Amino acid sequence: MNDYSNMNNYMPDDFEYLNRLYNFGMPNMMPNNGMMQMQNPNMGENIQLKQKLAKQAGDNMNFNKGNYNQQINPNEVYDIYGGFIRGNMFPDLYNQYKNNKPFEIEPMNEQAELLTYLDAYSFAAHDLNLYLDNNPNDRDMINLFKEYATKANQIQKEYEQKYGPLFVDASTTYPWAWNDSPWPWENK
Amino acid sequence: MWKYEKKLQYPVNIKKKDPKLAKYIVTQYGGPAGELAAAWQYLDQRYNMPDDRGKALLTDIGTEELAHVEIISTMLYQLTKDATPEEMKAAGFGEQYAQFGNDLFPSDSFGNPFTMAYIKVSGDYIADIESNMGAEQRARATYEHLMDLTNDPDVLAPLAFLREREIVHYQRFKELRNYYLKNKIEVEKNNTR
Repeated sequence: MNDYSNMNNYMPDDFEYLNRLYNFGMPNMMPNNGMMQMQNPNMGENIQLKQKLAKQAGDNMNFNKGNYNQQINPNEVYDIYGGFIRGNMFPDLYNQYKNNKPFEIEPMNEQAELLTYLDAYSFAAHDLNLYLDNNPNDRDMINLFKEYATKANQIQKEYEQKYGPLFVDASTTYPWAWNDSPWPWENK
Repeated sequence: MWKYEKKLQYPVNIKKKDPKLAKYIVTQYGGPAGELAAAWQYLDQRYNMPDDRGKALLTDIGTEELAHVEIISTMLYQLTKDATPEEMKAAGFGEQYAQFGNDLFPSDSFGNPFTMAYIKVSGDYIADIESNMGAEQRARATYEHLMDLTNDPDVLAPLAFLREREIVHYQRFKELRNYYLKNKIEVEKNNTR
């Protein structure tokens, strides 16, 4: 048993507060040669602090670095493909590194395409799974999870019928199909 | 138990051999902020979580980290496939080639072998979860350094994906930490550890 009775200092993290300032206060700001351009007319009183932070952020163009938001609208999610290529289903949490836009997936054949489809649905279900571990009473999200997980399951069955087992349970044909290439690490 | 799914969480198709880059990326396989350390840290800590939500989250993120070990391994495999001894030597992998040939070996970028001493466990679930937040931050920073070291889109894409996962995991650990602090009395009263 641990005693946390002395931990009364439960406060939002400082950096969270700072990041909220320059994320929500200045939605239209873009780095421009290390200088920031003010475009949002609704900026509040903290303009000097914001400008200072923005300038620091603009110095290395890594505008979003260390930007962790509270999840304000958790039920706002990317579409399946959009979430998958970002590695993140939640627009609130998405954080791009420098100028690396999300990378498009370019499957080289039909098999890879169906696999990408499966990857994307499995990923969506998994990212919701992590959210639901912390928010077990979010009924809408549970329904969305059910939809994605069911769909992933259907695609998995279709893939296995066409191209061979993804789980050993589906290796029911003669000869033994589980061994067949490609293995996941092999270039397709 | 775990079941093997014969696919990657995110596709890796690197067309350009580049053992030098593998020499850097290897730290996310067997380095201090690597995926192997993260996987084992979370899967080890889950036995010390005070309630079911902690057990679930650590199990699920730990399991995902195992999938990330596989993504990083795949990148190393493809970057060093068919590399000649000369190429391995030029990439700083000479010592590794001497011992292991072209096999994968979990080490950091300097070649120090992976050690379980990397994993942080404390017998205190708040300390554990906060160390996980730190682990996610360090892994994110490492992925950013690795992204700075290449412009090959085949490599950048999985690195960007993995970096973004650190951000999501950080968020989930932070939520769990905050939940435990906020509900500390109730959590401690019902501690099922």
